[in-house]
Amino acid sequence: MVETMGYAVALYVDRATQQWVVRDREGNFWSLPTANDSWENRRPFEPQLENSLEPIPGHYKYLLRLPF
Amino acid sequence: MTAEHDRLSEARNAANPWKKWGPYLSERQWGTVREDYSEGGDAWNYFTHDQARSRAYRWGEDGLAGISDDQQRLCFAVALWNGKDAILKERLFGLTNSESNHGEDVKEYYFYLDSTPTHSYMKYLYKYPQTAFPYVDLVETNRQRGRHEFEYELLDTGVFNEDRYFDVFVEYAKSTPEEVLIQITVHNRGPEAAEIHVLPTLWFRNQWSWHNPTSRPSLQQVTATKEFSIVKAVDEELGDRYLYCAGDVPLLFTENETNTQRIFGVANRAPYVKDSFDNFVVHGQTAAVNPAQTGTKVAPHYHLQIAAGGQQVLQLRLTNAPPSAGGNGKSSLSFGNSFAAAVDARRRECDEFYQAITPPKLSADEANVMRQALAGMLWSKQFYHYDVDKWLEERGSDPFKASRKAAPRNDQWHHMFNGDIISMPDKWEYPWYAAWDLAFHVIALTLVDPDFGKQQLKLMLRERYMHPNGQIPAYEWNFGDVNPPVHAWATIFTYRLDKGQQSEGDKEWLKSCFQKLLMNFTWWVNRKDRSGRNVFEGGFLGLDNIGVFDRSAPLPTGGYLEQADGTAWMALFCQNMLDIAAELALTDPEYEDMALKFTEHFLWIASSMGHVGESGGMWDEEDGFYYDVLRLPNGESHRLKVRSMVGLLPLCAATSFDGTLMKKQPAIGKRLQQFLESRPEIRAAIHDPLKPGVNGRRLASILDETRLRRVLAKMLDENEFLSEFGLRSLSKFHAEHPYSIEAGGQRFGVGYLPAESDSGMFGGNSNWRGPIWMPVNALVIRALLQYYAYFGDSFQVECPTGSGNMMTLYQVAEEIGRRLGSIFVKDEAGQRAVFGGAEKFQHDPHWRDYLQFYEYFHGDNGAGLGASHQTGWTGIIARIMHLFATLTPEMALAESKQAYFAAGVKPQSAAETLVGAP
Repeated sequence: MVETMGYAVALYVDRATQQWVVRDREGNFWSLPTANDSWENRRPFEPQLENSLEPIPGHYKYLLRLPF
Repeated sequence: MTAEHDRLSEARNAANPWKKWGPYLSERQWGTVREDYSEGGDAWNYFTHDQARSRAYRWGEDGLAGISDDQQRLCFAVALWNGKDAILKERLFGLTNSESNHGEDVKEYYFYLDSTPTHSYMKYLYKYPQTAFPYVDLVETNRQRGRHEFEYELLDTGVFNEDRYFDVFVEYAKSTPEEVLIQITVHNRGPEAAEIHVLPTLWFRNQWSWHNPTSRPSLQQVTATKEFSIVKAVDEELGDRYLYCAGDVPLLFTENETNTQRIFGVANRAPYVKDSFDNFVVHGQTAAVNPAQTGTKVAPHYHLQIAAGGQQVLQLRLTNAPPSAGGNGKSSLSFGNSFAAAVDARRRECDEFYQAITPPKLSADEANVMRQALAGMLWSKQFYHYDVDKWLEERGSDPFKASRKAAPRNDQWHHMFNGDIISMPDKWEYPWYAAWDLAFHVIALTLVDPDFGKQQLKLMLRERYMHPNGQIPAYEWNFGDVNPPVHAWATIFTYRLDKGQQSEGDKEWLKSCFQKLLMNFTWWVNRKDRSGRNVFEGGFLGLDNIGVFDRSAPLPTGGYLEQADGTAWMALFCQNMLDIAAELALTDPEYEDMALKFTEHFLWIASSMGHVGESGGMWDEEDGFYYDVLRLPNGESHRLKVRSMVGLLPLCAATSFDGTLMKKQPAIGKRLQQFLESRPEIRAAIHDPLKPGVNGRRLASILDETRLRRVLAKMLDENEFLSEFGLRSLSKFHAEHPYSIEAGGQRFGVGYLPAESDSGMFGGNSNWRGPIWMPVNALVIRALLQYYAYFGDSFQVECPTGSGNMMTLYQVAEEIGRRLGSIFVKDEAGQRAVFGGAEKFQHDPHWRDYLQFYEYFHGDNGAGLGASHQTGWTGIIARIMHLFATLTPEMALAESKQAYFAAGVKPQSAAETLVGAP
């Protein structure tokens, strides 16, 4: 990956905990509940070895109603 | 003129949008590059058939026997369940590239039976087994088979034994441009009564999840009575539409949304998702569908019991006409007899259209072949949507962002926005456009819709397709790959066709294409002529495994290939561009310089292939054939002596010219003469372009008469290229004499393989080492007619070689055409070669007249191989049949270029033809 300035927003699903995970532009990870206002109710997420983060296509950001 | 011709005219003049609704759904959207967001570009395994029922597509939709509007906002297709299947049958099943022993392959039986060019009438047949569909058996058995074994097909599984299957005919008939009558006829071919669930499904392509969520369309139940149910569809672009469903039938509603629980393991936001109908019908989950009778996907649920040998008919209407106060729509049609009569009327108009365009010389069986070939081509139109910049961004590979991931493909093509109806090679196996295929499609499609052909050719040259550097996109797996440059040929062909039909050609269209083709030509010259000596590379150039090496990969020997096909293609490209420039120069003198430029450029390229005295060139004097030349790093060179279509393509680079421009502007002729007199080595290397032939014509040809005869001797030898069913892609000489070469401690060889490929080169699903391929045969036929127009009847060759039977080149072309046609036409025993050893296809009255137009054909027995619905370029058989039933040798000699277009393409009224309806 080419990285010089910040991070690309990335979407994941964590199969281990069955939730959406988002990495924002600052590189912070957040987990999202499945309610409609999920970004507002996000929780900090620290990826661990036991997590199984699978990349999700970027177009799902609309489905998850992300603000970026 | 027929009613269909009137509709074509109205569509052309934008008076009525007759083509708005059509068969634009893909047969497979899963497993495509567009839907692939995997890290490594593993499209086949990223979005699988198993996921397809549960996961909303990003870029397009698929369905069985489906239609949509031309922006694919609203889709309609048929779903089925036989009570035993593991899943609802909503889409065709097939094996992925790695699951099959010969590359990806659909494992279903479906037939494109009929279509008019405006899709005012269409007919599709799907054969649905009454037992559980053998998904696992097909995957597992094929997995165990090697490349040297046959593929395991659906018929082999036994599911059609005792004829325990349904024939599901789906007919569409437009009463207006905005109203489609849908008639589904289900026949039980089995010995016992059987049940079937039929779900004619209407849904919106999901765009709201990927964009602004406020613009969400809706479907809702309006009325439900004993006579019919009505669904209202609301969309901001399409407006209000209605689906009227005949009969007392419950409506099922859900959303075209991903079942995130099933696909990702994360709970769904709402209970109604893409696979709800499967869950409801097959698994009995009553809560799976929305009791509020609203959503973005709806299906009336018909549960039928059909007696043995019986049939049932379902009727629906998709229209913009709202229900009247009486509840049965503004249209004067209701259901029942009047509906059936309306469908009948469109069916009759379809018959009239094909009667008008089918030459009376063709037999009923030949006419049926031609009609089904064209039906397949028309059904293979698809909405193709791909915004490459957006796609790259969505996978984190935005080319303009510093923090981007590498993309597995197409990152140099971010300028592309595709969102058009395009003719596909095969909507299941190749549901994406391919540049050189498309040129051949146009040659066939212009038999029924010249406007569509022109639009397709222009489309590939548009700025949102063509790369800014002038390259035409190859196909979505790698837009930057290189396809043979046949676009200019298709362009001048289509122009002449238009000229013959309209009495005046569309010069503005021709000029606009010429400008873009110039860019493409320059791209080729700058990128593929490494040494600047007018000798071209190009890689595999569409001929997959034809070479000793993978011609698109670094050579194991080091060095590079000077390609006989690549150079020949460029020679032909020059001829086509000269043809276009000369035509334009008749009215616009500023094109005269271009005509001279392409004349000279052709001469440079042609002479590079045939320099006398230059050892190591592509022409082999001993063999009398052309070969690729391997140029090694140490300066040595070798001809790779594989007798293949690569060596026949130089023969195809031939065009006769009537000299109209030279007569009008004698100065051009003088300049050409001066050019040639100062370069005698050019005239010595190729056919003399100044030597007049029949009626004073000139011939641009790489081969002079001597070399032409030598190459023809091999081409028409039944122990070499000439099979009973057309020209082989590789000479049968290599059956006993395989060619091999050692490089880097490895042995590379090419032997004659008349059937499937025995290697995984290029995926292993297209074999150019022996089988018969329709498009290159068509190019040979074209070339032979060009030579005939020049040489006339006095030039005769033995055909077949060694037979003692002498033929003119017209007769040779006609003979090749006859052999190609015999792949499909019944022989004296009533059998069709295309069906091979498939007994059911050969003998069963419910199978034997339904044709499949394969990708290629067995080099010895003509059996169909490869993709089974590649009416893409195999559909060109319709043009070949039409050509020889229309053009006589006398016409070809008297009028040359315009002869065929002037004579044969004007539609006749039904009263003037003798061909009955198939």
